[in-house]
Amino acid sequence: MSGPVARAGGRAHTAPGPRRGHRGTPWWRGTAAVALAFLLPSLVALTLLRLLPGATALWGSLHHTSLLSGESFVGLGNYLNLFSNADFRNAVGVTLLFTLVVNPLQIAVSIALAVLYTRRRMAGAKVWRALVILPIATPPAVSAVVWSVIFRPEGGLANALLAVVGLPPQGYLTSPDQALASIIVLLSWIGVGYWMLFLIAGINDIPTDLYEAAELDGASPARTFLSVTLPLLRRPLSFVLVAATVSNLLVFAPVQILTGGGPEGSTNLLMYDIYSRAYALGDMGRAQAEVVVLVVITLVIVAVQFRMLRSED
Amino acid sequence: MPTHTSEPPSPSTSEALSPSGERGRPLTRARRRLRPRGLLLSVAGAVVGLAFVTPLVWVLTNSLRPSGDTFRFLSPVGWETFLTLSPIADNYLALVGTGLGRGILNSLLISAVTVAVGLVLCSTAAFGLSALRFRGQGAVFAVIVVSFLIPFDAIAIPLADLFRDWNLQNTFTGLILPGLGNGMAIFMLRNFFLAIPEELVEAGRLDGLTWWGVFWRIYLPLSRPALMGAGLMLFLFQWQAYVWPLLMGTDAEHVVGPVALANMQGQFSVDYGLMFAGSVVLILVPLVIILSLQRYFIQSVSTSGLK
Repeated sequence: MSGPVARAGGRAHTAPGPRRGHRGTPWWRGTAAVALAFLLPSLVALTLLRLLPGATALWGSLHHTSLLSGESFVGLGNYLNLFSNADFRNAVGVTLLFTLVVNPLQIAVSIALAVLYTRRRMAGAKVWRALVILPIATPPAVSAVVWSVIFRPEGGLANALLAVVGLPPQGYLTSPDQALASIIVLLSWIGVGYWMLFLIAGINDIPTDLYEAAELDGASPARTFLSVTLPLLRRPLSFVLVAATVSNLLVFAPVQILTGGGPEGSTNLLMYDIYSRAYALGDMGRAQAEVVVLVVITLVIVAVQFRMLRSED
Repeated sequence: MPTHTSEPPSPSTSEALSPSGERGRPLTRARRRLRPRGLLLSVAGAVVGLAFVTPLVWVLTNSLRPSGDTFRFLSPVGWETFLTLSPIADNYLALVGTGLGRGILNSLLISAVTVAVGLVLCSTAAFGLSALRFRGQGAVFAVIVVSFLIPFDAIAIPLADLFRDWNLQNTFTGLILPGLGNGMAIFMLRNFFLAIPEELVEAGRLDGLTWWGVFWRIYLPLSRPALMGAGLMLFLFQWQAYVWPLLMGTDAEHVVGPVALANMQGQFSVDYGLMFAGSVVLILVPLVIILSLQRYFIQSVSTSGLK
């Protein structure tokens, strides 16, 4: 994502000298009004629909509203209050654990599958690969509903399949130990195929002669993967890493639909904590502070990505 | 994406989804000797592929079965768990007139309007940022970049507060609006537009075209792939939306597909046949669109980074 930003307005600098239009003035001059007319609808939309709510969240996070005294400025009070709140700290912990498991897991599996499905010797690789890709069309909320039936402790598909291999039935979403893992499964079912698409594209872009050279040198498949595939996959991989981290930070539908943050707070991810703080608890000030925290975390992650890609260029 | 030197994957991605044309790497002798490994690979590939598609097959089969039979073939698991020899369309027909059927139609309406209006908004903005030049362009561009770096879901709650103040709750306008301001689509279209030669603009201007004429007659016809990609992005944003419609479209008339489906899940007695038929439709619509536009799919999402 770094390039286009670095080039912002870049074309203006590279434009050749003063070309003349038919009125004898440089042809681009006087176009500011026209350009603004083209830009205005989107600028209004983006300002009202993205920047303004960001600003109101920031404003709201610094104020406390009560029926008695109205709105009053409390500075960082909401934030301090938030960080001393046990539910919030639990949500941060759960989100951290979730992030540290779901992202490496999804990325490792999608790398493995991308490598697997680009092997020449596999019969029907395109067909099997297409089967992994099919679930990416599933909206997250639909995945949640479908898997809720699969995960039913009594009479669900998952336990029926476990019975085939002689394993006892599990609680899945109803078990404090398994609920978060169950949510990771239903998200990865969509995510892995999605990330794999980018990695397959990246692998297909690696020049074939590098593999031939590695083969002539007698490199093992593991060695070839570490010395050829992985280094040359850096760009798509760093993109996938950030995109996955950001989208997994915003997971909401499965928690809201399936567990309501439970059992025992074990699936209380940040997005759901914000939602329940705002609507179930009606604590807008602190919910807004939490929104700000989440947006800042996201922006930091994306900024790191900018850095990584830019230093590479 | 012609001007996109810094983006991750882009070329040769069309083959990722299509079962044709494996990239022809020449077989070496060393490779040919490894037949058993080829077999092992194929088995591994098939097992993983089938594992991923199993839930979809189960959902599809149960959508073609009477509701009472959903859990009938599970103990023990057999071929009948995943296949039915007597498929029925009843569940799909039953969607008509239910909240879920209504929700799916609402989702279609919202997505279609978002794509149509969103493309006009985003492409005009991209034109203003690429074909034309003016002082302060960098600042305007920065505003657009910042706006798409803020994840929409995170600011949905403060925005919902504003929309309530503006009396937009439970209106289609309220459901559609957030999908229109898509900074990412603008960004993507702008990059595409920057590759259009200036000479074409000059020639068009000399021939007496207005700026709108340059945009409409020159830029848009040249940008079909980018418009497809941007349209797909606008569509998926709305089709997959859950947080926003949950906050905004709370009455029965304005419910969207995913929310209606999720509401079914919590009910005391669930009509599983209906639920699965609805799920199949909600998955199939984007799947068909993604498959037919797959060439543009990776391009658009890889420039987005944020889903």
